[in-house]
Amino acid sequence: MIKYRRFSLENGLRVLVHEDKSTPLVAMNILYNVGSRDEDPGMTGLAHLFEHLMFGGSVNIPEYDMPLQIAGGENNAFTNNDITNYYLTIPSENIETGFWLESDRMLELDFSQKNLDTQKKVVIEEFNQRYLNQPYGDAILKLRPLAYKIHPYRWPTIGMDISHIEKVELDQIKNFFFSHYAPNNAIIALTGNITFETAFELSQKWFGPIERRNVQIRNLPPEPVQTEERKLTIEKDVPSEALYKVWHIGPRKSKDFYTLDLITDILAGGESGRLHTRLVREKKLFSEINAYITSDIDPGLIIVQGKLMKNIDIQHADEAVNEVIDGLKNSTELESEMEKVKNKFESSTVFSNSNIMNKGVNLSFYELLGDPELINKEVSEYLKVTREMIKDASGRYLIPSNCSTLYYKSTRKDK
Amino acid sequence: MEKLQRIQPPVFPIEKIIIPEAKSFRLSNGVPVYLIEAGNEEIIRLEFTFRAGQVKENMPLLASTTNMMLTEGSQSYTSEELNRLIDYYGAFLNLNSEKDNAGIVIFLLNKHIEKILELCREILFRPVFPETELNSLMKKRLSWYLVNKEKVQNLAVDKFFESVFGKDHPYGYKLKNEDFTVLTPALLTDFHNKNYTPENMAIIISGRMPEKTIEILEKYFGNIGTGTVNTDDALTLPKEEKRKKIHIDKAGTVQSAIRIGSSTINKRHPDYPGLKILDAVLGGYFGSRLMKNIREDKGYTYGISSSVSSFDLAGYKVISTEVGSENCRKAIDEIYREIQILQHEPVTKEELKVVRSYMEGEILRMFDGPFALAESFKSVWEFGLDNSYYYRLIEKTKTIEPDEITDLARTYYNIDELYEITVGSK
Repeated sequence: MIKYRRFSLENGLRVLVHEDKSTPLVAMNILYNVGSRDEDPGMTGLAHLFEHLMFGGSVNIPEYDMPLQIAGGENNAFTNNDITNYYLTIPSENIETGFWLESDRMLELDFSQKNLDTQKKVVIEEFNQRYLNQPYGDAILKLRPLAYKIHPYRWPTIGMDISHIEKVELDQIKNFFFSHYAPNNAIIALTGNITFETAFELSQKWFGPIERRNVQIRNLPPEPVQTEERKLTIEKDVPSEALYKVWHIGPRKSKDFYTLDLITDILAGGESGRLHTRLVREKKLFSEINAYITSDIDPGLIIVQGKLMKNIDIQHADEAVNEVIDGLKNSTELESEMEKVKNKFESSTVFSNSNIMNKGVNLSFYELLGDPELINKEVSEYLKVTREMIKDASGRYLIPSNCSTLYYKSTRKDK
Repeated sequence: MEKLQRIQPPVFPIEKIIIPEAKSFRLSNGVPVYLIEAGNEEIIRLEFTFRAGQVKENMPLLASTTNMMLTEGSQSYTSEELNRLIDYYGAFLNLNSEKDNAGIVIFLLNKHIEKILELCREILFRPVFPETELNSLMKKRLSWYLVNKEKVQNLAVDKFFESVFGKDHPYGYKLKNEDFTVLTPALLTDFHNKNYTPENMAIIISGRMPEKTIEILEKYFGNIGTGTVNTDDALTLPKEEKRKKIHIDKAGTVQSAIRIGSSTINKRHPDYPGLKILDAVLGGYFGSRLMKNIREDKGYTYGISSSVSSFDLAGYKVISTEVGSENCRKAIDEIYREIQILQHEPVTKEELKVVRSYMEGEILRMFDGPFALAESFKSVWEFGLDNSYYYRLIEKTKTIEPDEITDLARTYYNIDELYEITVGSK
């Protein structure tokens, strides 16, 4: 049971506090309610580029990292489709340094041309490193536009086309900042060795004076229902072939989410998951195979991806995956597997919440979803899932007409 | 209301760092056990570690494959049953095989300790290494290896270790396709009998200790008998290769991988804490000189770092990055320039202050929570050291002077002795 208290400042900033005296550190997490889904289709990758720019100095502080390091702190950040999330951990004596730094960069960035030019180059190198210079690195770039035709989830966080990053200008950056970075569009979680009173007082002092801003209203086009199976084949110089399959699901807050998440655990949770057992161990079709659910706020995906063993026909491997999926719909052995995945879920929740930073990230995200208490009650939602619900959800979502398949083939003879 | 002063940081000194000591005792067969009580949740981290790493193998892949096959079937359970039970009890099991040591780490809810320990005994002391599972593992490993060989950073790391520790030493040798076809159950059984023995073993437990932990450990591990005595020859020392600069051509890559470094002192040497601080200045943290110059100023890379690490028989230092291929030479020149600056110009008081505080924060994080505590304990224990190593590091962090950093850079970063490995298109 994670105890927390929350409050809001007059400018709309929401703050959650969880006290944990067992650590000498405090984690400060700031979630900005802006992700790649908020980008203009003609200028994608901005939310993520922004994550880089946020470390290039703010209006009163020329450099973010140095003073944080002087205070013994450490930080990082991530951007996804929905949010941009910054976190730091710092010795509790110095938590005020965290407030000082984070409030200044919420107040205003130092919009320097030099920083923008450098970070553009860094992001292009990141794009090259992750997507171009790795075998299969570009699969996700092909897969998203296959599954999504309209909704902004059709482009990845790094951007639809790297030329968008190359040509972005300082004015667009400023505009993006003031329409998304605002106290009324952010959530802070303070977890660790800090009292509610300290958190309240320091939040008022450092964030209180920042004025509310006009945040761009989100009005995203819904993705039309997919009615036909989609297939794409690409050929590249890779050592073995790979298979990717995705199915549309509902939003993070739909009640099917827990059932679908458990389905991916039955399929691929741990070494004893069905896909691994049947297709890696028994049939030896794949060298590795995995399944997961995207936790996107808008309707997301279930993704299955695997790398084939040598000389295995990809169509045959695809059919074998479909058989395992179909097995969910009329399975008799579900009962003990369900107990297993529920136990595993329960224990991974305990482990995840044994770390102050994870607690902060989770609390902020649940607050964004509209109910921070989910941090304590989601486990029981998982425990409520029945065998019938698994069969029913498999039958509604994991069907060919809702599926997009990517064959990532190899041009090599010896594959 | 007074206007908020946003220019100066509100920073206070960090209180003294106190490291909890592990309690130690021995099971009746002599196996050492270390207990670290910490944390709020009813969970523990359990590590079984053996002197059974790569350094003990007489052919490539033997140590890691023996380790990976531990969960592929035991005297009482099939591989499928073992994996299903571990998942069923909500435990997370990591098999790990490193250069010197190998073993398992398992994270579990306290309520399942008895069942999990029974499974651990099966996994560690009663494996059967079935041939079918071995063949299928080796095919998978070959296929992972072939994918990894496509990545410039992996090619660079392999070549780096080969150059620094020698192509005949387990720390250095590179794998070949043929290595994946020669292992047999008999070879694994022999390696297991010689190296996974109570004499070679220690147990490290951290978290909120359940009642009767000691009795349960005694029940499952106190009566394991002595293994075959290992009569193999004494370990040979690594020997570096002659060629210092090697380029591996990989056509069509947009980035090149760079590894620059050499073997060096390890954790047992008195200069090691100072070397760690020098390493931080050079490339050991986000605000380091290499990051500032090559990422933040020039934008050649998404990331660059340096590190100093220890194995039992030697240490090594390495600078690692992937850069746009067109900037490869320029990045290397900047790396050498940064080393030369460290050898000739004393670090300023301001920069030293940043590094000191960064290191203090890092040290605090090394002892935050049961899992970090166990890892920090192990990483000195395996060198025959104890927490006094960390107190020396803390002391050195507080007292090191700019001149000492310059001296260390001259002693340990002789540019003529560094290996320079690049992989990518010309």
